[in-house]
Amino acid sequence: MSRARVAGLKPALVLMVICMVFSAILVVVHDLTKGKIAEVEREEVNRALSEVFPSAEFEKIDDYYKVFENGVLVGYALLGEGQGYGGVYGGEPIKLVVGVNLDKTVKSVKIISHSETPGIGSKIEEENFLSQFSGKTLEDLKLRSDGGKIDAITGATISSKAVVDIVRGEVQKIASEMGEGR
Amino acid sequence: MENLLTIAIGAILVNNIVLTRFLGLCPFFGVSTRLRNASMMGFAVIFVMTASSIITWAIYQYLLIPLNMEYMRLVVFILVIASFVQLTAIFVRKHSQRLHRAFGIYLPLITTNCAILAVVLINTMVKEYSLLETIVNSVATGVGFLLALVLMAGIRERLDLADPPGAFRGLPIAFVSAALLALAFQGFGGMLL
Amino acid sequence: MRIQEFTKGIIKRNAVFSLALGLCPTLAVTIMVENALGMAFAVTFVLVLSNLIVSVIKGFVPPDVRIPCFIVVIASLVTVIEFIMRAYSPTLAEHLGIFLPLITVNCLILGRAEAFASRRPVADSILDSLGMSVGFGLALIMVSAIRELLGSGKIVIFGHEIVPTVLSSPAVAMTLAPGAFLTIGILLAIMRRFRVI
Repeated sequence: MSRARVAGLKPALVLMVICMVFSAILVVVHDLTKGKIAEVEREEVNRALSEVFPSAEFEKIDDYYKVFENGVLVGYALLGEGQGYGGVYGGEPIKLVVGVNLDKTVKSVKIISHSETPGIGSKIEEENFLSQFSGKTLEDLKLRSDGGKIDAITGATISSKAVVDIVRGEVQKIASEMGEGR
Repeated sequence: MENLLTIAIGAILVNNIVLTRFLGLCPFFGVSTRLRNASMMGFAVIFVMTASSIITWAIYQYLLIPLNMEYMRLVVFILVIASFVQLTAIFVRKHSQRLHRAFGIYLPLITTNCAILAVVLINTMVKEYSLLETIVNSVATGVGFLLALVLMAGIRERLDLADPPGAFRGLPIAFVSAALLALAFQGFGGMLL
Repeated sequence: MRIQEFTKGIIKRNAVFSLALGLCPTLAVTIMVENALGMAFAVTFVLVLSNLIVSVIKGFVPPDVRIPCFIVVIASLVTVIEFIMRAYSPTLAEHLGIFLPLITVNCLILGRAEAFASRRPVADSILDSLGMSVGFGLALIMVSAIRELLGSGKIVIFGHEIVPTVLSSPAVAMTLAPGAFLTIGILLAIMRRFRVI
């Protein structure tokens, strides 16, 4: 190989070496933080679960949890997620936990995480909004403007609708699951 | 079909990349002083955005996911965009003097246009679109960028003739005009798609 | 080593107000002071380390592939800080959303690598990046404090109420896009009027 050819290859080689070095660094850092990230996510889910059903035990089945209190089945808990207003921005979707009683009514709803607009959409986290869900049946789980019994947060219709839709979807899922089980 | 239309309208108006998502602001303020430059920049962005979305979509689906290397996405995507822009610049220079004169100076600027990387990330990581949805979303986002840039250029050409207070001349008044433009675009937010 | 390399970036050549660099995150994440602090921290990490690395490797990198090399360095650093934030401050990572990976294309970072770190000695580059980061952070905090105060009526940082509710019916538009543009435009005009920049 002539000297000119070697010189022409140098830029490509340098770029390759730099790519390799930094890819290696990324692999190492990813490995180091992977466990911690998964743990943080598990903790968040567990915290929300125990807020919905305090002092209960959870048994994970496929994509939902059976909830036992002192060995007796008392209800179900489901993880749901969907796009709110913030998700469209490129932020995280709304993630929540729905607790469902044995009579297929909602026990309560807890938001795990969201990236809605602070001061507006972020009100979906507040008790004022979430307490509306308790005791509602599948038919009630719509915004009042769509013929249901949930009041939307003023100025945050998209976020409210997103939460209601996620909850309804999850309740529907467990209701059909319970129907089959009998 | 309905879904694709929702994506398109959403990307052009409701979630306009510049005026509601705050992306691609450097070119938005940098090249919006003249209408002609603004539209040239807009078309260049539509082209690069669409092409790099398709390439990165394929790489993500057929290389990164099978290898469980999703976390390398950032490095891979930005390298793809940078090299694609560079290749296009070389190609244009070699084959069309006219295109080179029209677009030449905008191409290098596009590498650091965060709108491109954002669309690529949204297509793959956030929304997990199919190829068709990816193409529609990228074209529509690019059109939204062009729209915002052209509107802004129209306003700024008029602003040249206006007489704002000294401290507001130039960039500050451009920001205030952008605020009014963004306020108008907030109106689309009420559309439940 | 000269101390001016540090001080110039804070006010005189402020990244946001004077150089108009890194505008996207300045407008997007400044809804809350908390987000602004998170973004300022992430940008400082990436900017200081990338300036350091670029100024160390500048001798070996041929000019043709300079930009791709810098971009790889920056993108890797951003990915690292993203992992760290997801592991240790997940709420903040969620709020910053897509703007965390987008630090890669923050023109401030590539701009400093290209204009400063690739031609100056290591010590100067670190000082320059620290000054630029402080200036960027100050700008973010200023804009976000105004927007959070007017838009939400109070300022809450990591669960602590720094400023209690002063406005009972805040102007929600300030937390949305128009408020961001307006705040920066007016701040810029005020600074020019009093010749701060």
